[in-house]
Amino acid sequence: MSTGIRIENLQKTYGQGDNAVEVIKGACFEVQRGELAALIAPSGAGKSTLLMMIGCVLEPSGGEIWLGDTQVYADRWTTKDARTIRREKIGFIFQAHYLIPFLNVLENVSLLPQTNKEPEALIRKRATQLLDYLGLGEKLYAMPSDLSGGQNQRVAIARALATEPQIILADEPTAALDIERAHSVAKLLRQIAKEQQVAIIMVTHDERLLPYCDKILKINEGKIDTSQVESDQVI
Amino acid sequence: MINLAYKDIRHTLSKFLVTAMGVGMLLGIVLIMIGVYRGMADDARMLLRDINADLWVVQQQTLGPFAESSRLHQDTQDILRALDGVDKTAALTLQNIQLYNRQQQAVRVMAVGFDPAGDFQIIPAQRILAGRSLRAQHFEMVVTDKTGFQLGEQIALGRDTYHVVGVVQGSVSSSGDPLVYISLKDAQNVQFSYSNPRIRNDRARGLLGQNTQLVNTVVAKVRPGYSAQEVAEQIETWKHLTAYTHEQQATILSRNVIERSSKQIGLFTAILVLVSGIIIGLIIYTMTLEKIKEISIMKLIGIPSRMVVKMIMQETLLLGAIAFVFGNIFAHLIYAQFPKRVVLMWNDSLLLFAIILTASFLASLVGVYKVMKADPASAIGG
Ligand SMILES: Nc1ncnc2c1ncn2[C@@H]1O[C@H](COP(=O)(O)OP(=O)(O)O)[C@@H](O)[C@H]1O
Ligand SMILES: [Mg+2]
Repeated sequence: MSTGIRIENLQKTYGQGDNAVEVIKGACFEVQRGELAALIAPSGAGKSTLLMMIGCVLEPSGGEIWLGDTQVYADRWTTKDARTIRREKIGFIFQAHYLIPFLNVLENVSLLPQTNKEPEALIRKRATQLLDYLGLGEKLYAMPSDLSGGQNQRVAIARALATEPQIILADEPTAALDIERAHSVAKLLRQIAKEQQVAIIMVTHDERLLPYCDKILKINEGKIDTSQVESDQVI
Repeated sequence: MINLAYKDIRHTLSKFLVTAMGVGMLLGIVLIMIGVYRGMADDARMLLRDINADLWVVQQQTLGPFAESSRLHQDTQDILRALDGVDKTAALTLQNIQLYNRQQQAVRVMAVGFDPAGDFQIIPAQRILAGRSLRAQHFEMVVTDKTGFQLGEQIALGRDTYHVVGVVQGSVSSSGDPLVYISLKDAQNVQFSYSNPRIRNDRARGLLGQNTQLVNTVVAKVRPGYSAQEVAEQIETWKHLTAYTHEQQATILSRNVIERSSKQIGLFTAILVLVSGIIIGLIIYTMTLEKIKEISIMKLIGIPSRMVVKMIMQETLLLGAIAFVFGNIFAHLIYAQFPKRVVLMWNDSLLLFAIILTASFLASLVGVYKVMKADPASAIGG
C-alpha cells in the first residue's frame, strides 16, 4: 500500500492576537490508498478545517502535508497552483450535493475531466460507467432539480470520482440522508476505496457508519487520536 | 467542452429573454433619440438642398436667412446678376405664419416667397405630388402634404384668400415646420406692409414712403468655370453684403440652428446609454450573486476561474447583443408614430452596438470581480 494522505504536526489558528483561536494544534496521521478513514469529533472541533487544509483550500498555520508522494505544504504551499492539485488529485463530496443546477447529470460529472483536457470519448465512457455503477444509468440527462436528495448525492460522488483522484475528502456526506441511504453511501465509499485504491477521509457524526471504515481519526483537543477498526467489525 | 454560458442561459431562458427585451426597449429608445436627431439634422438642410443654390447672399454680417434675420433690397438680385460669374438669381422671403384649416385649427407653417416668373427653380419638380408650381403673381399657394391642406382649397391669409394650386411632398423648414410657397409680392405684403393705423402713425411722425421692396435673401447660381468661393468674396468686397457658399450655409445650419437641440439629444442619448450599461451591470451582478454558491464550489473542486469568468462575460455580451436586436426591432416598430421625422440609420445602430458591447463588457467586470473574490473555503461553511 502507498501513502495517500500524510500530515505532520499540522496547525491552524484562526484570527490574530487576542482573537486567535487555535483549532488544530499539531495533528499527525496517515491514510493509505485503499483505506476509508472516518474523521469524528463534536461539532466545532475542527473537522472541516482539517479537511479543507488537506484539500489545499485553506492555508494551515504550520506543519506538513503530503498528498501521495508530493509534499504540498511545508510551513507554506510548495506550489502556487493549489487549484490544479485539487482538480487532478482530489475528489470532494459535501453534505449538500452542490451540483451545478444548469448542467445535467452527465455534464456535471464530465466538467472536471474536461477541464483536465482528457479525451472526450474517454470522459464520456468513464462518466457513463460511473453513473451506471452508482445506479444512475437511466438518469444521464436529468437535471439535478429532477432528482431526489439521495440520487443527487450519488451524482456528486460520481463527480468526485470522475477524474480518478488518489484522494477523496467527504465532509459529512451522509448528514442529509436517511439512515438507509447513509449506509449505502458509506458502503459505496468503502467499495470505491478498495476497488480504485483511493484514500478516503469521511467526516461523520454517525457512529453506526464506523464499521465500514478501516480507521478512525478522532480530534481531541486539536490533536488526532488514531484507532484501527477491528477487522471483525467490518461488514 | 461544455459552454457554461449557453447551458446557464438555456436553463433560465425565459427570464433571460424577458430581461434582454427590457434592456432592448431602452436601447430602442436610444435608437429613436438618435433617429430624432438625424431627422432634425436632415430636415434642417432640406430647404438648402431643394433650392440647391451656389450662393446665399444676405444682409451684411448676419448669419441669415435661417440662423439670423436678414433684410436686403430686392434689387440686390439685379445687381448680383450683373456680376461676372453669376448665372441665375432669385430673391426669397422666409417667414413663419399661422394658417387656419377648415376646422379652424391653427397650422404653423414657414412661408417661402419667390417670384413665379423667375428662372430659378425653387420647388424641385420631383417634390410636386399634385397640381403645379406657382404661376400667377398673386393669391396662389403651394402647400406641403403635411399641412393637411388639399389641392383647390381656399386659405385665408391676412386680408386675402389664397388658392391651393399645388401640393408638394414632405418639405419642411430648418425647424421642422411644413412649408408653403407664395409669390414674392404676396409674401412682401404679408411681411413688410403695415396696417393702416401704423401707416397713419408713421406719417404723423414724419416717416414717409415705407419700402416694401425687401427680401430676406438672394440665392444665386454661378456660371460653369467660376468658383462659388471666389464669387462670394467678390460680392463681399464690393457690395456691402455677406455671401455664403452652399457648404458654408450648411455649416451655419448645423452649428447655429440645430446645435443646441443636437447637444440636448446627445446628452439624453449618453445618459440613456449609461443607464443601459448600469442596468446590464446590475442584471449581471444579480445573475452572478444567484450563482455565487455554485461558483465557490466550482472554484473549490478545482475549476479554473477563467472558465467561470468566460461564462459571465459571454452571458453579458449575449445579453447586450440580444437586447440590441430587440432594440432595433422595437425602434423600427414604433418610429413612424413620432410627429417629427425619425431617421433610423444602420451606421448609428452599429455604433450603438459597439458602445453597448463595450458597456456590457465593463458591466460584466462587476460580476467577474465577484467571482474572483468568491472564497472557495466559504462554500462549505459550517
Ligand atoms: N473562518 C473562520 N474564522 C474564525 N473561526 C473559524 C473559521 N472557520 C471555522 N472557525 C472556527 O473553528 C472551529 C472549527 O470549525 P469547523 O472546522 O467548521 O468545525 P467542524 O467542521 O468540526 O464542525 C470552530 O470553533 C469555528 O468557530
Ligand atoms: Mg464541519
